[in-house]
Order: sequence, then structure tokens, then C-alpha cells
Amino acid sequence: MQLTVNGRPAGIEDKDSLSVTALLDELKVKDALYVTVELNGEIIDRPVFDNTVVKDGDSLEFLYFMGGGR
Amino acid sequence: MAQEQTFHFETLLIHGGLEPGPSGATTVPIVQSSSFAHETAEDLEDIFRGRKAGQIYTRLNNPTTESLERRLALLEGGVAAIATASGMAAISTAVLTILRSGDEILSSSSLFGGTYSLFRDTLANYGITSRFVDPTDLAAFEQAINENTRLIFVETIGNPKMDVPDIAALSGIARRAGIPLMVDATVTSPYLARGRDLGADIVIHSTSKFINGTGSVIGGAVIDNGTFDWGSPLFPHFEPFAKKYRQFAFSARLRKLMHKDFGACPAPMNSFLLTEGIETLGLRMERHCSNALELAGFLRNHPRVGWVNYPGLADSPFHAIAGRQFGNRYGGVLTFGVASQEESFRLINALKLARNLANIGDAKTLVIHPASTICVDYSPEQRTLLGVSDEMIRVSVGLEHHEDIIRDFSQALDSL
Ligand SMILES: Cc1ncc(COP(=O)(O)O)c(C=O)c1O
Repeated sequence: MQLTVNGRPAGIEDKDSLSVTALLDELKVKDALYVTVELNGEIIDRPVFDNTVVKDGDSLEFLYFMGGGR
Repeated sequence: MAQEQTFHFETLLIHGGLEPGPSGATTVPIVQSSSFAHETAEDLEDIFRGRKAGQIYTRLNNPTTESLERRLALLEGGVAAIATASGMAAISTAVLTILRSGDEILSSSSLFGGTYSLFRDTLANYGITSRFVDPTDLAAFEQAINENTRLIFVETIGNPKMDVPDIAALSGIARRAGIPLMVDATVTSPYLARGRDLGADIVIHSTSKFINGTGSVIGGAVIDNGTFDWGSPLFPHFEPFAKKYRQFAFSARLRKLMHKDFGACPAPMNSFLLTEGIETLGLRMERHCSNALELAGFLRNHPRVGWVNYPGLADSPFHAIAGRQFGNRYGGVLTFGVASQEESFRLINALKLARNLANIGDAKTLVIHPASTICVDYSPEQRTLLGVSDEMIRVSVGLEHHEDIIRDFSQALDSL
């Protein structure tokens, strides 16, 4: 499937959908414990990472609070 | 990380947040670098925008310090931890993350002298008012809340008053008022109790004390338990952070504003020493507690000693609540009184093993006369509020053999 991650195209091979948890793993997202995930413009609460499904065409933004800017 | 959450506390003290080091190193690498280079301009933009995790500049974050922060967050069961240059930096950064001019702190009157000074004098100059109430008087605490109160602050065991508030009850008061509870757990350390389990939204440690354990480092930490709803209309300045970062709202505001702007970051070397020191926290706290109990028992029966204040003594008014909150352990700090200030000076001067200095939580037994040192700038009324009397000596009971500690106090008392 094709996703847009942080404004850039990202392909995930051999999969049509994934949970947010599995996607963080698949993309080897660093410090996943501290990331906020926005799926198609909506912030996903951490407790529902396991059962929120990401599908082909979805757009995701990852947000860390540890960075420098606001 | 998921597996780490199932480890026992003692295992987390050693392995929590520890990643494999270069060349198979088993200790946390000391990354002594001010800044961190990135391959492309896009990478650095992503990190600055918070789209990607990564290092920028040691004032903001550092791999050695992050290793310490991960371990502290796991130990406390928090969503995030921020290490600071000192315990006072942790308190001032955390408090200023929450409060604006016109806001009020409802604080325990039983405080470390530096915190009292920060709240009473320094913050007052910036329009933040503090009200001090006996933390064991729950009705008075509840009554002291007004429309400007935005934070409740207490110590798990008041230093040096040695009183023990019912933290779960104070948490209930904070919940009902819709404001957060911040708990300074320096004296108990994460080992005696996790602030989260007692209902604290934010936990403070001066890591200079028991977490370091050897008197070699000044450091502090703020742990965000992610339990407070910062979307509340009482905190409009949190709105963008609550929207964007949800349960990390407090950590995000702290990191992106106060920690970044005031700049009280720890040195990587100090963070390293803290990751070393914390490994033995559990073993050390057990010994601090048992030695303190032995010394308290000895002092109480000595004819030259007027009184002993230690929650571990069965007749302490705080014995029951401390036992319940801290798993029947009562900490490594106690106070006692002799006849006068003059006699307490003679006693301190006669001690051979215990060191006369301003600190707690060292492997060595430490004593101090608080009225003439930590609280020397305060009026007699203020000292009374903080639980400091002229004849009082504070002891931070170390890890030496308890018989040697007792022998030292015994010979000093007998020399009076
Ligand atoms: C209970 C308590 N909180 C805070 C502090 C301040 O910590 P630091 O000395 O690391 O700034 C101390 C230090 O004495 C303390 O005992």
C-alpha cells in the first residue's frame, strides 16, 4: 500500500492494511514510545494504537515533543 | 520497551531504557558533544519540527541524558521524564510550565528550604502567589483552594519536618478542584513509592540525593505521569499542547518552552553517573531505612536526647500513613533534638564518622544543624512553619554498619 508519511510518499510492501502499532514497528519509527500520531488529520490516542487501522492512501504525521521547534 | 514494562522494579533499575552500547559496552555511553550533525537539511528540519526523533543540541536533549530519562520514566510508570541540572531546576521548570502571573500554588508548609524560598520570594516577584498549609490538615488544604489555585505541591516526607501527608487524599482534593498534584519524592526516592500510585500527576526528584547515592552529582528530574487533563479551561495556555500532544501535553510544554528557554540542562557526565548510581537504589534504600530505624531507636532511649522525629518509630504520628504509603519503609532521614543550639553544635563537633554538611542521600552518614544553615535566612516564625527548631539536628543515615553509626552518636552524646 501507498501512504503519505510526514508529507512524503511511503510504500509498505505486501500489506493492504496495518494497525498503528504495527506500522510504527514496520517503519522502525524511533522512540515510538513518545510519538504522537496524526492519521488523516486526526490525532490518534495512544490506547487505541493497536486497533486503529491504516489503509492504502492514508496520510500520517508523526509528532515528537522532544524536538526544538514548537 | 513493551517487555520492560513487565520487569520488576529492581530489574528496571539496572536495565530500564538501557540500549546496547558501542563495541558491546554495558554502561551508558557518555556523549560529550554540544551538538549533533545530520546528513541533510531535510533531516534536521524534520527533527526541529518534531516529525522525527533525533538529537539537536545538548541543552535540548542528549543521548546520555535520554537514557537516564527513559529509565526514570519506566521506574515511575510515567509517560515521560525530563532530567535537569538540579532538583531546584526540576521544581522551577515544572512549576513555571504550569503557572502564569496571577496564578497561585497551594503548597505544603513542610518544605525543603530552597523550595520555600522559590515559592515564597522568587515566584512572588513574578506575580505567582504561594499559600502554605500544613499538609496533614486535609480540611485546611481543601479550604485554602480558591479560583486562582492552579497547583498543589507537597513532599512525600517533609524535609526536614519529617511529617507525612496522605498523598492519595491530597490527590482527591486536587482532582475535585480540577488542578494537578505535584509531589517532590526526593526523600522517599522511587523505591519507597511511585508517585503515580499515590495519585501524583507530576513527580519531582532531586537526583542529587538517593538516586545518585554517593554525593557526587547535582541533578534533578521531572516525571510526567500523563494523568492530568491539560485540555481543561483552567489552563488555556496548554490548549495547543493538549491538542497536539495529548497525554504528553505537560512534557511538551516543559521541553519546548521552559526547559529550552531557561536552559537548566544536565551535563552528560552527570547523567552517566546517575545511571550508574541508580542501579543500586533498591539495595541502598533498604539499608538506609534499616540503619535509620536502628539509629532512631538508639537516640530515643538516650538520656541527652529530648525527642526523635522518624516516621519509622511506632509512636510517630505518621507511622501508620508512612507504612501504608511506603511499604513499611520509612526512609533514611531523621531529626532529633538535644537541649539547645549550643549543645547541638557541640554534638556535631564531637561526631567522628558523620560528616557535617548540607546534603542527604549519600552513602556516608551526614548531619546538619538546619536552623543555622539551610534555614539561616528565615525568621523564627518561618523556621517554625518549616518544622525547624534551634536544638534540632538532621541526620541522613548512611550505609555504614549500623553499630559504627550508633557508636559515633553514642560517644558524641556522652561527651556533652
Ligand atoms: C526535598 C528536596 N527537594 C529539592 C531539593 C533541591 O535539590 P538540588 O539540591 O538538587 O537542587 C532538595 C535538596 O536538598 C531536597 O531535599
